[in-house]
Amino acid sequence: MDTKTLLILIPALPLAAAVLTAVLGKRVLRAQSHLPVVAAIALSFAASLLLVFQVQERIERQAGQAVPAASVGCEGTLATLWCWADVGTISLGDNPTATSKSLQSPAWGDLRINITLRADPLSAVMLAVVTCISTLVAVYSIGYMRGDPGYWRFFSYIGLFVFSMTMLVAASNFLVLFVFWELVGLCSYLLIGFWFEKPAAAAAGKKAFLVNRIGDFGFMLGVFLIWIVYGTLDFHDTVVDGHTAAMGVLGPSRLAHGPFVGGWPATAICLLLLLGACGKSAQFPLHVWLPDAMEGPTPVSALIHAATMVTAGVYMIARCAPLYAASADAQYVVAAIGGVTALLGAIIAITQTDLKRILAYSTISHLGYMFVALGTCTLVGATAGMFHLMTHAFFKALLFLGAGSVMHAMGGVLDIRRLGGLRHRLPVTHWTFLIGCLAMVGVAPLSGFWSKDAILLAIQQRTASDGASDLFHLLFATSMLGVLLIDFYTFRPFFMTFHGPERIPPEAGDHAHESPGTMTGPLVVLAFGSVVVGGYFEWTHGFSHFLAASPSLAYLSTPTGDAAAAAAEHWSIVAISTVIVVVGIMATAILYLGNRKNVTRLARAMDIFGLYSLSYGKFFIDPIYNALIVRPLLSLARLAAWFDRHVVDGLVDFCGAVPGRLGAVVRPVQNGMVQFYALVMVLGLLVLVVALLM
Amino acid sequence: MFAAHHILILAALLGTLGLWLMLPRGTAPGRNVGIVLETIALGLGASQIPLLGDWPASGMFLILALTAVVAAIAAITCRNPIYCAIWFGQSLLGVAGLFLFIGSQFLAMATIVVYAGAILVTFLFVLMLARPEGQANYDRRSHEAPISALMGIVMVGVLSITMGQALSPAESSPHPITPPTQTTLAAGVLAPQHVARLGGELFGRHLIAVEVAGTLLLAALVGAAVIVGTGNEERNKTD
Amino acid sequence: MEICRLRFPSDHEQLTTNLPMPHEIALLNNCLIVGALLFGIGMIGFASRRNMIVMFLSIEIMLQGVSLSLVAWSRFHNHFGGQMLVVFIIAVAACEAAVAMAMILALFHQNSTLDIAVWRRLREANVPPLREEPLPEPPADPPWPRLTPAGRRPEISPEETDYRPRV
Repeated sequence: MDTKTLLILIPALPLAAAVLTAVLGKRVLRAQSHLPVVAAIALSFAASLLLVFQVQERIERQAGQAVPAASVGCEGTLATLWCWADVGTISLGDNPTATSKSLQSPAWGDLRINITLRADPLSAVMLAVVTCISTLVAVYSIGYMRGDPGYWRFFSYIGLFVFSMTMLVAASNFLVLFVFWELVGLCSYLLIGFWFEKPAAAAAGKKAFLVNRIGDFGFMLGVFLIWIVYGTLDFHDTVVDGHTAAMGVLGPSRLAHGPFVGGWPATAICLLLLLGACGKSAQFPLHVWLPDAMEGPTPVSALIHAATMVTAGVYMIARCAPLYAASADAQYVVAAIGGVTALLGAIIAITQTDLKRILAYSTISHLGYMFVALGTCTLVGATAGMFHLMTHAFFKALLFLGAGSVMHAMGGVLDIRRLGGLRHRLPVTHWTFLIGCLAMVGVAPLSGFWSKDAILLAIQQRTASDGASDLFHLLFATSMLGVLLIDFYTFRPFFMTFHGPERIPPEAGDHAHESPGTMTGPLVVLAFGSVVVGGYFEWTHGFSHFLAASPSLAYLSTPTGDAAAAAAEHWSIVAISTVIVVVGIMATAILYLGNRKNVTRLARAMDIFGLYSLSYGKFFIDPIYNALIVRPLLSLARLAAWFDRHVVDGLVDFCGAVPGRLGAVVRPVQNGMVQFYALVMVLGLLVLVVALLM
Repeated sequence: MFAAHHILILAALLGTLGLWLMLPRGTAPGRNVGIVLETIALGLGASQIPLLGDWPASGMFLILALTAVVAAIAAITCRNPIYCAIWFGQSLLGVAGLFLFIGSQFLAMATIVVYAGAILVTFLFVLMLARPEGQANYDRRSHEAPISALMGIVMVGVLSITMGQALSPAESSPHPITPPTQTTLAAGVLAPQHVARLGGELFGRHLIAVEVAGTLLLAALVGAAVIVGTGNEERNKTD
Repeated sequence: MEICRLRFPSDHEQLTTNLPMPHEIALLNNCLIVGALLFGIGMIGFASRRNMIVMFLSIEIMLQGVSLSLVAWSRFHNHFGGQMLVVFIIAVAACEAAVAMAMILALFHQNSTLDIAVWRRLREANVPPLREEPLPEPPADPPWPRLTPAGRRPEISPEETDYRPRV
């Protein structure tokens, strides 16, 4: 099966399954609604694995051949579905002959949007990760959502989501990317507010959508600016009869020769695209929607808000790496935002009491790490960021699904203060959760260790090269602090939930047993993946070589440096981080496994400077937004409503009242008096007679 | 100095004012002033009508016409409805006299017999059946007196002017109006066997109309009986 | 059919010329004027009086005016048609009077009044009904002198019988 067919199949299968489930789910399939969707996503996963192998083959083939002079990386395979829009040649005055386009000047006036999918290493990796996690989460949902009245709706939405996410990463055009960016946001809204009768869930869905909208607004402006500056929205080149007719924004000809516009247009484009990524990937200041999104079902949190949708921003910035390379200021902003978010998420996660909220804030923190890595704008950094994306997908999904298993057993209670000592009742969950925690904190040789270290190494190497090295020194320090905080906030809920005296809340009823096989199966697979994936790929350096062949990333420079010094730095970082991790785990164990009196003492100590309440209150960002943004908008809405009701409607009512008033003026003529009528008749007669005879 | 139409306009104005004053207006005074004004107006108007050849003819015509008009004015302005009916009878006499003057004797007699003899008596019967004690409110007030007076006089004025202009010799040049001669009249309408001729015309040319008129009389009789009869029944039921 | 045009004559013209009208035309003219007057008077009476019977009386006055005009035209044209029509007018007026009296009686029995102003059911909803303050009673007729009943000797005071000489 060739690459183009695979590319088309991967999104098409989940879409077909989603439509099928939507149409037949309620009446026909009912409790079997999962069958089409799970089958379709599993087939997509198989297809995306095949795709990865095919791309690998292509890379090796191209490396073996004589590479043509102007080629950066391995050009991806394109599959064009159809032409969505073709607005012909609009001549703009000083460019009357638009047919003669040179490669250097933008082809203004020709808007041609094709639905084109591309298969290059970056998109292949993303497709594989997305479909793998989706398959496992879909299988998990069979057990988790059993008995829910909206069972068919859930799977239909999941299918729709997988379709949009795969199209997003496979799109080869900014506008198509944007369409599926929005569609993914829509699926997120639908799935967060899945239990829409619950007001909290509906409000959370709305909040997620609206905050994403702010980001999308920035993204749109960025796309417009790209169109103005570069004249085209395609990533790839438009090839006509074997020769390049128009350069794509990230196409091989532009990557080889340029030009990439610099100066303020580049900074503006990059910052606007960053705004979009902040919205989608929950970076400061648009991170407020992600903790509230935990109102949705746990498989949704695992799939969308840990592994796939929130990584769309990371993917997009990696894809647009050449644009960021053209603007140094934007890189610093990316890194800075990432650093702030990483620290913010970690600090807040320390004191939260809801298991899923802790995991949400940890997701925010890890996404911050990925952004820092991408902000270095080096090949090492970008590769490290994508690698961490992949490993994070595995262990974060594992942790979320484990939390879901706990929730399922405990009847919906997730407050870790009310749970305890569950390791005997939920053994599989306990061991897989432990593996996930170890992976998250980065204990060797689990996957988290390799990816986290790659990020730290990339930051360290960036401090060596020129340009804002102070910033990156600061970021390195905060990253190290973050590592300490990671183990604290990871193992605190683990110890409180699974160790200590057994405490089962009354909502559990007779639920308090291990989850069924459909739920524990994916947990085990994910645990296996968390252990193996990182080590395997890093040991063989396969991942970084694979990714380095993708055109966007290959453009980034590799810092030349002393190889030996680099190696020495590498091992020192490894050593330092391992020490921090072990110390952190032991400290947490001491605090939480024994008598917990010290915990309250520590909390009170922290509260002297108000740190505890600042952290517990999530830095009061939500109330600030409420006062600054929500309230004024509500007042404006009220004003508009008043205007509409009184002025506009008043005008309409006035127009409607005019005939009535006129009638009331004329009505007294009908007074019921016969003689009056006779008199009026005579008057009319007289007027007629006089008019005729005059 | 005063042309004919000035006098006529003055007569019309005085007539309107007089009529308004004469109509029943509650307790407002002025009825006598109205009578005086009306008299003056009629006098002015009468002075402008063309003469009828010799004096006796004109005088006779004037007396009869004034009887009819003055009695009609009195009939509409009296407070007591029975007086109105009697004045109406007087007006009928005047009109019948005019019919005689014109030369249609049958109609003069028919008017007196049918109108004054039957219709007027019916009115009086109903008035006697329905009379309230003393003078009623509604007899002493009228609606819209000034406007109706004005409109009536305007109508009369319009008709008169039209007729006057149509019949004056100077105006009718394209279609001259030729009056009938005595001989033709003597052979036609003014023949000695006037009534016989009228009867022949009635039962010859308009025979079907006569039959229809008879049926109409029958229908009116039945209808009147029904209207009053059902009213009686309803009243008897409610009692 | 030619429609006569009204025109107001200027000052040195007169409505009627100085030439004497022929007798017949003058007669026609005068009779038509009287007919118009009767018609107008009848109309004024119909429009202003509130007693139903006096209203009907005014209608009859109008009919009289019309009859007079018809008869005048009949003589002028030397044709019996006008008089025929007047005969039928009289017949129809009789029927109409009968039916009208019946209706007036029925209306009277409903409301015990001959006032037409109480029958205002066709008025619009927001037109108020008639409200009138009552008029003061008219001054009563002075008492007519009464004769003593016949056959009884009148009372004479004793003083008169004393010094009245015997006649």
